[in-house]
Amino acid sequence: MPDEFISIGDAARLLDVSIDTLRRWDESGKLKAIRTSGGHRVYRKHDIEIFLNDLWAIASEWVSSSAPPELPNSVYCPTSPVFQARLGKMQAILKDANAIEHFSLLVAMAGEIGDNSFAHNLGNWPDVPGVLFAFDINKKQIILADRGRGVLKTLKRVRPELVTHEEALRVAFTEVVTGREPEKRGNGLKFVRNIIQDYPIDLLFQTGDALLELNRKQIDLRIIQRPPIKGCLVFITY
Amino acid sequence: MRITLNKFGDILIARQAGKESFAAFQPSLKSVLPDEEVEIDFSGVVTFSPSWGDEFLTPLHKQHGDKLILINIENNPSVKETLKILDGISTIPFKVK
Repeated sequence: MPDEFISIGDAARLLDVSIDTLRRWDESGKLKAIRTSGGHRVYRKHDIEIFLNDLWAIASEWVSSSAPPELPNSVYCPTSPVFQARLGKMQAILKDANAIEHFSLLVAMAGEIGDNSFAHNLGNWPDVPGVLFAFDINKKQIILADRGRGVLKTLKRVRPELVTHEEALRVAFTEVVTGREPEKRGNGLKFVRNIIQDYPIDLLFQTGDALLELNRKQIDLRIIQRPPIKGCLVFITY
Repeated sequence: MRITLNKFGDILIARQAGKESFAAFQPSLKSVLPDEEVEIDFSGVVTFSPSWGDEFLTPLHKQHGDKLILINIENNPSVKETLKILDGISTIPFKVK
């Protein structure tokens, strides 16, 4: 089948970014265009689809880079109301698809994790505010990421003895503790763990250099070291 | 009195939203008699989470104690999982009908 080419304007619409952004991405090599004989940029439609679907790569790069790349608007939630609205959209899509009985748990998990990002970084975002929130119902995956202060820095305010990201992650998933004392908070990640114990949902949760892997067979906290990231990076599959 | 939760929305997630919902509903609770039951009806709620629940249910529980009754929780796993968590951090379990 011959390749289908689309204009830079159509590619910008599909990716929900500006034409200037696509020109920058072409120059930096992030998403290369093809030049026509007349010198215009065009794109293989398939390349755009792959780029759009590679949500994990987009999220990983966003939390790993010292200079964060610009995100497509379709996945970037700069404020909590934008995140809540997109969460509502995911709920509607999962409900309509009628494919998974316990879809409300996926929405609740994503909601708790995303809400945490905003609550713990309000007024304190180190550089880019907000969260990346993306889902793909065909691949059955949900991805959340933020460039916030991370779990260790947040919990250190109430648990100054914490030293490593691994320790902080362990506390966050097992103890009712809050980085916003004296408010009584800090049950969201325990809720996430409880759900995974009872349902076929897998979770990867990285903060700093600590990556936690949880699933129904692996409910004890298994934390491994990874190259460090800013904030948090979360991958849910179901 | 019966509080129909889905009047606050069908996706009850954010802590801030739970706090605002509780504050907004306070004037309506003034008409509750001392021994009157307060029923919280979950029908029509699609997604419920501990953050919203902790801001709305926990203070209501403190105000009304065992007169607070939760109804229509059966068909929603997010409600059941949230109540497990909230029960775990409260001294008195929620009453469910």
